[in-house]
Amino acid sequence: MSRDTIQKYLDSKKRLVNELELPCVVRKGEEEGGCGVVGFCCSEPVGGRHIYEPSRQMHNRGNGKGGGIAAVGFIPEQIGVSRDVLDNFYMLHVAFLDVDVRNELEKKYITPNFEIAMKTKLDTVDDWKTVVGLEVRPPDVWRYIVKTKDEVLDKFIRENGFEEMDREKIEDEFIGQNSFSLNQEYYASLGEQKAFVLSNGKNIMILKVVGYAEAIVKYYRIEDLRAHAWIAHQRFPTRGRVWHPGGAHPFAGVNMALVHNGDFANYHSVSEHLIQRNIYPQFLTDTEVSALMFDLMVRMYEYPLEYIIEALAPTTELDFDRLSLEKQKIYRAVQATHIHGSPDGPWFFIIARNLVKEKTFQLLGITDTAMLRPQVFAFCDGEVQVGLIGSEKQAIDATLQSLAEEDIRICPVADRYWNARGGSHTDGGSFRFDIKANDAGKIRVTVSDKFGKPVEIPSAEEACDFSQGISLPPETESCLQTIISERFAPGNAFAIFEMICDLIPEWTFDELRLACKQIVNQSHDASKTEIAIEVLTLLNDRIYSTGTKKRSNILHIVRSSLDKIFDSIPRVSEDSTDGALRMVDFESRDDIAEPAQGRTTLVINAAGFAAEGDDCDARLLVNAYRKGWRKFIVYKCRGQRYIGCGLGPGSDGVSIDVYGSNGDYLASGALGVNITVHGNAQDQLGQIIKKGKLVIHGDVGQTFMYGAKGGDVYVRGNAAGRPLINSVGKPKVVINGTCLDFLGESFMAGDPHNGGGFVVVNGITLDEDGKVVPMKEPYPGSNLFSLASGGAAFVRDPMRVMVEEQLNGGVYQEFTDADWKLILPHLEENEKLFGITIDALLTVDGEKREPSAVYIKVVPSASAVGSSTVKDESLEDETVKELVLE
Amino acid sequence: MGNFSVQEDKLKELLPANTLKTRIKQVEVKREIKPAPSRFRNEIAKYVIRRSEDCVICGKCAEICPNGVHVRKAGYKYFAEPNSDHCIGTACEKTDRFCMAKCPQKALRFVENPMMKALGDCRWTSDLLMATWKMAETGESPDEDFGLEYNCGDSGGGFDRLRVMFPEKPEVELSEEDIDTSVQLNRSNDGRPEIKIDVPWYGGGMSFGSVSNITQLAKARVAVAFNTFTCTGEGGYMERMMPYDDHVITQVATGLFGVREDTMQRVPIVEFKYAQGAKPGLGGHLLGDKNTLAVSKMREAVKGISLFSPFPFHSVYSIEDHMKHIDWIKHINPRALVSSKVSTPTDVDMVAVGSYSAGSHIIHIDGGYGGTGAAPDIAKKNIAMPIEYAIPKVHSFLESEGVRDDITLIASGGIRCVHDIVKAIALGADGVVIGTVELIALGCVRCSKCESGRGCPRGIATTDVDLKNLMTVEWATQRVINLYEAWRKQLVDIMRKLGIQSIGQLRGRSDLLMHLDYTNDVEAKS
Repeated sequence: MSRDTIQKYLDSKKRLVNELELPCVVRKGEEEGGCGVVGFCCSEPVGGRHIYEPSRQMHNRGNGKGGGIAAVGFIPEQIGVSRDVLDNFYMLHVAFLDVDVRNELEKKYITPNFEIAMKTKLDTVDDWKTVVGLEVRPPDVWRYIVKTKDEVLDKFIRENGFEEMDREKIEDEFIGQNSFSLNQEYYASLGEQKAFVLSNGKNIMILKVVGYAEAIVKYYRIEDLRAHAWIAHQRFPTRGRVWHPGGAHPFAGVNMALVHNGDFANYHSVSEHLIQRNIYPQFLTDTEVSALMFDLMVRMYEYPLEYIIEALAPTTELDFDRLSLEKQKIYRAVQATHIHGSPDGPWFFIIARNLVKEKTFQLLGITDTAMLRPQVFAFCDGEVQVGLIGSEKQAIDATLQSLAEEDIRICPVADRYWNARGGSHTDGGSFRFDIKANDAGKIRVTVSDKFGKPVEIPSAEEACDFSQGISLPPETESCLQTIISERFAPGNAFAIFEMICDLIPEWTFDELRLACKQIVNQSHDASKTEIAIEVLTLLNDRIYSTGTKKRSNILHIVRSSLDKIFDSIPRVSEDSTDGALRMVDFESRDDIAEPAQGRTTLVINAAGFAAEGDDCDARLLVNAYRKGWRKFIVYKCRGQRYIGCGLGPGSDGVSIDVYGSNGDYLASGALGVNITVHGNAQDQLGQIIKKGKLVIHGDVGQTFMYGAKGGDVYVRGNAAGRPLINSVGKPKVVINGTCLDFLGESFMAGDPHNGGGFVVVNGITLDEDGKVVPMKEPYPGSNLFSLASGGAAFVRDPMRVMVEEQLNGGVYQEFTDADWKLILPHLEENEKLFGITIDALLTVDGEKREPSAVYIKVVPSASAVGSSTVKDESLEDETVKELVLE
Repeated sequence: MGNFSVQEDKLKELLPANTLKTRIKQVEVKREIKPAPSRFRNEIAKYVIRRSEDCVICGKCAEICPNGVHVRKAGYKYFAEPNSDHCIGTACEKTDRFCMAKCPQKALRFVENPMMKALGDCRWTSDLLMATWKMAETGESPDEDFGLEYNCGDSGGGFDRLRVMFPEKPEVELSEEDIDTSVQLNRSNDGRPEIKIDVPWYGGGMSFGSVSNITQLAKARVAVAFNTFTCTGEGGYMERMMPYDDHVITQVATGLFGVREDTMQRVPIVEFKYAQGAKPGLGGHLLGDKNTLAVSKMREAVKGISLFSPFPFHSVYSIEDHMKHIDWIKHINPRALVSSKVSTPTDVDMVAVGSYSAGSHIIHIDGGYGGTGAAPDIAKKNIAMPIEYAIPKVHSFLESEGVRDDITLIASGGIRCVHDIVKAIALGADGVVIGTVELIALGCVRCSKCESGRGCPRGIATTDVDLKNLMTVEWATQRVINLYEAWRKQLVDIMRKLGIQSIGQLRGRSDLLMHLDYTNDVEAKS
């Protein structure tokens, strides 16, 4: 937009501000910290019911004092207007806290300005108290579907000198200003707030309550209201008594809704940046200014999305250097202009918007440069496409589960899950899902990063039709049954797995389903249950060629089969049947007793358990451990936290296998227990872990092994931000993928060759056939081993792409034979666990190399390793003795 | 001694067997006053007494002095160096036992110790230091004759601008036995143990590394004697502390040094330290020289390097993370109360309510007057909100939110004397945490050299193998027991004068306080 036009915008807003006599200082009105956010979009409009389950599962990220949802892209019939009206008229949603002001408000702000295509009060249940999760009666919400009267808009144009500008944009601005004045009169200027605009835009709706977000779905009866994109937010305001939902998310810009998880340190500076542009916050929360800032850059500056993201989450350090010179120039200008309006602190935004001109709905997630809030993205390709963003993977899984229950074409396992790397040159810390009709007129979802680069989705396209039963010729069936049952003997699990792997590329989905069914059948023989679990677990954990079949569908088949086996295991109180395994669920939780003779493994169905507190499965596990159980399987996790915590010292030999969407803090505090996570893992895993083994068959979330003291740890995929910070003692870690940033900051784990710790970063990924593929950069961040004083990092970097700039206090050193001897046993174990062979790791461009030509070593610089002033070691030993009991 | 922890058989239901196995018999420590004189030959005193060569060793001075200033040891001809710290100086002049007047040779004279001008600072005046030493030595408040002002400092701000107003006659006549100084720490009614401490204070967190193992042990023993608590700070939990487990708070701070599941399972209270009032936003530091072999072993880090605890928790960036963190501790130790220690930013009231809703039993606000040796001067007193503002702000906000009686509010940061405690509670706290004053009792002179080189020259805040042996655990325990007992008596006396029967009734009674800025009372101002 030209300077002149921007000036006109500014002047127009200034006139408004003067008219309303606004104060020039804005103070933050409400403190709040994190929250739970989730958003999803779908190539076909889906009902509001699907935002219900993920919201419910993120209760522990809110406190029931505020919830909100937004939706974009409705169906005209459901709204009760024509397609043309839905596309071209604005939907104003106004919340009335005081129902008596409605007539007056309409007379001032609605009827004189707008042609009204439709006016309706949103339907609600009769008695708000019957809706679980509501704290106070939600406001009455009225929906006005409107278009600005020509003469009103003409006058607006005249007054502001907007003659040269696009009429549609002017109308956007008029709508925005009208809502602002309304809010000022009925909300911001009052002690007792009476009404406010929830959302103002085309084909978009925002609703908020004092309560949990999912209560909205029930209260406003929108289970079946279908839209292309939904976002939800669970709020955790610190103030206890909240009587209206004005401060809840999402916040609106014109044609957009934004939810936010985090907290700015520079609210004042951001609002100052806005006020200098005559934009005044009215609700006084971080999130409101975020929405205003985004709106400012979209509508007034008309920046491309990439620059907006840059202005919010600037690219810094090495990442900046790695941008093209041309980009650096632009980014520097963007940063220079907007750095004071860039939110500082932990934040993660999910935005749903309607790009009217482009005829596109958009779902967008942006993380702050330091990636201080949790975030996961996922995409499900197929006939029906689903894009998802959430604070936790479990929220994504819950959404997919909910969608799959309604539409069998949607697989509950996504084709891809990933994290954004904040302010990076690689993905820019942001991903967008664009929902738009293709040339054939079919609505499709595309996903791309900040730079517009599409996200790679696995190429296999053949989907399983879960609506149909298995139908195979009888001879195939019996043949399959034979090859499986005749091999089903102890010690054969891996062989069976290998056989199935070899067959899968050729198999049809039905053959695979039958094979899995056969395995499940075998498991009913108590002596074969464990083999069956082992085979299916390998099929779940390992990556193998699937032919043209979608891996996500195969995983779904395998996981459902596993669940079937677990479900059919005899209950813990059952004595009559044989078998080493016993199952406990929420209903039978009080039946836990000492394991009877021959019972070795307790299988815990986590589904009914709370995520934390006295009723959580992790507590049940501790109780069972105290009663003498030593082997555990936890399945159907839905974000349950603290699994494997609280067992105390001496828990060596205890093992826990975890299936499903496990939650945060798994294995945090472990002192000997062995834990295997069969899938991706969440945040804050292995904090202060001291002893034991932790294996993750997937990626792991933020602040992995913070303050760890030991443990042998293996991660098949990536670790998100800040792994191994402040670790001491002797942790020994192999990460096969990479880390987002800050790996091993303040690592203090002694001398790796003398009992200390180390971390190996292989920087590889497995392709669709399970083959090792090196990443372009083994470690993309700027902070590797910064301020470390002990231990070592071994990075697989045969191309020597790592540079000095990535270190801060560390130095690169020659990788020696002793180093290889040190890490070799761990790589051997890594090979056993994940099938990532040492040969493959040492092979570069098809040729096997010496370890020293493949790995590099990072150690703390000499200056970081101090020396004590005390020279007499014997005296020091005395003190050491004084600390322990005789 | 009341053992307020869970009964042993109840513990069996709550803790893993191996944690219980490591539990050892809890030791009792008697709450008994015994003289504990300075461990240095010449205690620093207000006056310096000079004996000239004119002395004829007649012994008159020793005969008349009631305070034992002049001592001629048995078998010695000459007098030893006078015990100047026992001399009441000018207060003696009016009596008939004034040695200088009675000396036939006029061989005695005293001068005010020039060190008084260098010792201490405005907050910790030399009077306060010496009075604390005296309490630690005797278990009694110093005699009025010493003329030591120990109820107030001289900073011209903070608690020093507040006065407790005593009625001429209390509304209720109370005897010493009527008065209850105990404080309930768990008000949440969540089924976790009710823990009551006998005095409205407990010892603050000082890590092994910042102080010696001897200092830590002594603090723990005193906590047992007074049925209150001490805190390990963030630097490990030494085995030697285990006989006192039931009176130990262990800290989980941002460096997570020495924090393990078993250390958290051993104690009745776990404290989350987010920040210190002395240096909010700066994390923790232990400089390399103090990181000796023993320290590095406890922390499992590398000897001789400076150790930093980051700011903030890498895993806690929001209230919901905070709740998750608290749930984690509650899961690991199902009997523990959780305390959240925060500094006092301007929105400390919001932080407190947030901590409440996240499930803390105790919100511990640490104001800016407190100080660690290692806190940079620029930070001390310059960042956090003064505690006397923070307490009522938090107290009244908790009240307006209707949750005041569901959480325990503990204040700290520059609590030097009993009057400070009374002021803090009258402003709205339930109790206080003390830190520096315990070290003063052990002979700290506030030289602020805690962090540098080998650490404290007086052997308190040091890990140096020679320096730390300047005192024994027994002596150190006795000193702090004496101080606590002197304080307890003073507190009872104050409550009696105010006609207040229990500490709970004192909470929020800011009407009993006077701020000198808002009074014309000249006398009070002086």
